[in-house]
Amino acid sequence: MGENRMSGESGSSNESMGDGADELRSQPILNADELVVGYPSIDEPVIDGQTLAVPAGEVTALIGPNGSGKSTLLKGLANRLEPDDGRVLLDGQRVDSFESKELARKLGRLSQQNTAPDTITVEELVKRGRYPHRGFFESQADGDGDAVDEAIAMAGVKHLRDREVGTLSGGQTQLVWIAMALAQDTDVLLLDEPTTFLDPRHQLEVMRVVETLRDESETTVVLVLHDISQAARYADSVVALKQGSIHASGPPEVVVTEDLLADVFDIDAKVIETEHGPVMVPLNPIDANHPSQTGETEVLQRGDSSRNGQE
Amino acid sequence: MVELFDRLADRRAAASHWYASSTLAGVTLGSIAVLVGATLLQVSFGAFPLTLGDAWGAVFDPRILFSFEAWRAFLLGADNPEWFTQQQHIVWNIRLPRILVGVLVGANLAVSGAIFQIITRNELASPYILGVSDGAGLVVLVVLTAFSEFLPFIPVLAAIGGGAAFLLVYVIAWKNGTSPVRLVLAGVIVGTVFGSVQRALFFFIDDLSTVMSAQAWLSGSLLNTDWGEVRIALPFTVLALTLAFVVTKELDVLALGEETADSLGMPVEKMRFAVAGIAVLSTAAAISVAGLIGFVGLIVPHMVRNIVGGDSRRLLLGCLFLGPALLVGADVGARLALSPIQLPVGIITGLVGGPYFLYLMRKTENLGEV
Repeated sequence: MGENRMSGESGSSNESMGDGADELRSQPILNADELVVGYPSIDEPVIDGQTLAVPAGEVTALIGPNGSGKSTLLKGLANRLEPDDGRVLLDGQRVDSFESKELARKLGRLSQQNTAPDTITVEELVKRGRYPHRGFFESQADGDGDAVDEAIAMAGVKHLRDREVGTLSGGQTQLVWIAMALAQDTDVLLLDEPTTFLDPRHQLEVMRVVETLRDESETTVVLVLHDISQAARYADSVVALKQGSIHASGPPEVVVTEDLLADVFDIDAKVIETEHGPVMVPLNPIDANHPSQTGETEVLQRGDSSRNGQE
Repeated sequence: MVELFDRLADRRAAASHWYASSTLAGVTLGSIAVLVGATLLQVSFGAFPLTLGDAWGAVFDPRILFSFEAWRAFLLGADNPEWFTQQQHIVWNIRLPRILVGVLVGANLAVSGAIFQIITRNELASPYILGVSDGAGLVVLVVLTAFSEFLPFIPVLAAIGGGAAFLLVYVIAWKNGTSPVRLVLAGVIVGTVFGSVQRALFFFIDDLSTVMSAQAWLSGSLLNTDWGEVRIALPFTVLALTLAFVVTKELDVLALGEETADSLGMPVEKMRFAVAGIAVLSTAAAISVAGLIGFVGLIVPHMVRNIVGGDSRRLLLGCLFLGPALLVGADVGARLALSPIQLPVGIITGLVGGPYFLYLMRKTENLGEV
């Protein structure tokens, strides 16, 4: 089962998820094909020719250090960034061939930081997630009410329904935004760091919503996570990125290993197998160029500053 | 137990809906009350001595109310019926149209201000933020100094100048798309340059009365407005405000920021330009007949949002009523306070607007966020 699922090299890992997996793996719903994406203001693309297949009805977590291109890849998948080369297929159809509202009915995306007007209520915000389901002159589409109720219930924010968004805590706000994305009622949902900056309880609540989505409405979820143990616990497959390329992908127990953490994150870490999946304990940063010299530099700098002080 | 909670939740939802619509109803009714009060004062008093009975007798004179001839004169610009008495002329051709122009201008400024605040995601934005006022002001000054033969076309020329300046702001702000901050900065750039040229042009006017009329225009005034101004502003107002209410759903989504709007399937750049265009049309309709009246487009959306919340539809509805109330109310002060001298109404709105912001500043911590 695992033979072609995981590999240390970026090249061979690319095929691991789509074709080789017949028994348990479902068909991929979202495919990135030799995708090259970047930002117009930067010459070098951030993601340079990566291939990825996201299995339908599963939770896929993107992990990687800051600046490794996780968010960029997510934006590329969502057609938020126009690819310089390659293509993204949703259900076998190019994402840029969809009409924008049509795409938004199939694929939802919640970005890292969202700001809503303070003076609207939670219910009003969640309702705005129904936008792609409405025609230009329709102020309300069929099923809006039910979808909003369902989204609010699933995100567990019923008790906040009539509160103004400006009065919520950070964790509550995040759940409300997730409710908005749920009201959009898409087959695929992309979440950019949904748990970063949240307290443990709200992190758990967010991840519970993600699990419910997969188990009850068979939604495919792709999410960027900073917490590697969290990714290992909740995701069906983990994709590790480093410097814009996919370093490894596969089930968490295969991807989240001490070797990979050293390669991808430059950290010395211990991975402990538990009943909740592999748990990662970070120990030390690895400095590739100057192993174990961090202490020395510090002393040097201190010496510098004291000399400056004397002058 | 669950049923009980559900029922409680339903109750609470119903109560909150009732509250939301009751605040809007409060704004609407309060505005109408102010408007009626201001209308009473405006019709009853003025430089020409009319008794209350005469004035209101003329307003409700069935010979005019149901006269095809009179309405054709008012709305289509035909000659006034010869049988008009002097009282009827004063009331129907001087006092009433001024109120009507005030209503149109107030509604336009308030609604376009609300739209600009949403698309720039800045509570301190006004209808003039994207260069409209500067373009219009420059054109007016140019006409007054160099092309006095175009004087009768000032309303239309000002509107065109405002629209052109808005397009210029967009061109400057565009670089792989725009953003609220880039738009506001481009507005500042255009405003600064145009403002300088405008002030420079003042030195080329030798005639004091021309300077006075330029000043009155730049401060914003309803002086000497009559049915001609109503005829200019009405069609554009109806068009712009209708369109504004058509796009409230789009405004709601734009208010969530570009990223979210995009993920909800909105073509953000196109929609922002279209919506800004609607607001510019509305602003231009106001500017063309009343000049640059300040603060109405800034404080009215602000006040309404504080009362009814951030839902675009309710916000625009509240603005549609409170804008006229504030402007016509201020015009009472402008016209009657120092009678027989009449001040530009823009001076009064500034005098009201400043203290309102002082009050807000003292009251709220996070002023400036939408």
